[in-house]
Amino acid sequence: MNETIKQQLTNCIRLHRDGKLKEEDLQQVMDSIEDGACQNILYIQASTTSLGSPAQGISMIIDGQVQDIPVDPKEWPYQSALEAIRDGWRVISFPDLSLLMDETNPRGLGCEFILENWSND
Amino acid sequence: MKTYDCEATLTDSQVLDFCRNGFLILEGVVPDEVNRRSTEFCDEHPEMEPTAILNEDWFHENVTINPVAAGAVRSLLGKNFHLPVLMSNHRVECPAGDLGGWHVDGNFDFQPKLDYLQVFYYPQETPPEMGPTAVVPGTHLVKNIARGMSHYGQIRNATPTASPAGSIFLTTYQIWHRRTPSTASGIRNNLKYFYWRTQPSCRDWVVEPDFDFATADYRSPAGGLVDQFRDCMRVAEMFCRLCGREDLYQNLGGQSWPLPADRLADPYGFPAELNQERNG
Repeated sequence: MNETIKQQLTNCIRLHRDGKLKEEDLQQVMDSIEDGACQNILYIQASTTSLGSPAQGISMIIDGQVQDIPVDPKEWPYQSALEAIRDGWRVISFPDLSLLMDETNPRGLGCEFILENWSND
Repeated sequence: MKTYDCEATLTDSQVLDFCRNGFLILEGVVPDEVNRRSTEFCDEHPEMEPTAILNEDWFHENVTINPVAAGAVRSLLGKNFHLPVLMSNHRVECPAGDLGGWHVDGNFDFQPKLDYLQVFYYPQETPPEMGPTAVVPGTHLVKNIARGMSHYGQIRNATPTASPAGSIFLTTYQIWHRRTPSTASGIRNNLKYFYWRTQPSCRDWVVEPDFDFATADYRSPAGGLVDQFRDCMRVAEMFCRLCGREDLYQNLGGQSWPLPADRLADPYGFPAELNQERNG
């Protein structure tokens, strides 16, 4: 959460305690959240459904731009979905187990986690 | 139907490596003079399908039936393989950004068999700065669809086919691949053409007397993308098919052949007839 929104919420709490909180105060916070907010997406394809499973593939979209990620896996920004979570990313999609159940006919790039954060986080 | 035959040049181990990786790079096998003429031809015919180049004798002799490349094709597709009838050119003016386009080409088949080869020829030096095609080794046996791959970014083990002028690389048609971003200036030609099998598969490449089907390593570099040991089974089945012995391929479950292990004796489930193959 960015500092502006934190300050606005702190102010709202203070106004609420004083019995002076108005609808416009909350609307101001809402407007700040929506201003410039852009969903960032992180795809991590892993070997297994474990959050700590090593990434086999990775791609990121930040502020609406696909990011250049180094070819060398050692230089990838995250080595697993768990590392990304520790850095503030939230999982919005877990691997689809139904795609993994036909083990004799492997398909796709492993177990795909999709994570998000917001550019004003 | 225009076909060609020549001596097979790949060994058992090299054919198995192709089954594991799904591609083979033959570096600098085309003479410089032919690379120069090919580049000139592409400059004069910058269209996507300069198929007329196949009619040029100098191209036919040095590229289409290039001794090193044709020997490899002969090993993988058998005698009297069908020659290309279409030439495509993935011609790019560099620098060009990353299109991010991992894909498999249309009309693919992910079965563990090999009835055709997609072949590429770089007439110019193609270092990483010129955006060579990258492939993901072993993915010819991992099913995917092009329209479900376009969000992929970096993939572990992805391998650029950076190579000197005159390099030819053979691929399984369905291997995952994409063009990489280029930072240098200039034209990158990447000629693409096709060979087909016309005869049933058989082990008529260079047989290694000590090649051991029982202990050969059938693991794939794409093993991390599939359930444990499934890569070994797919590779072993593909190799058996190329040997013309798909009837012998079997997997009896558990720790049986073709799972990799350091065993006291031939693995359980190893087909006895392949032992005969091994012993000639």
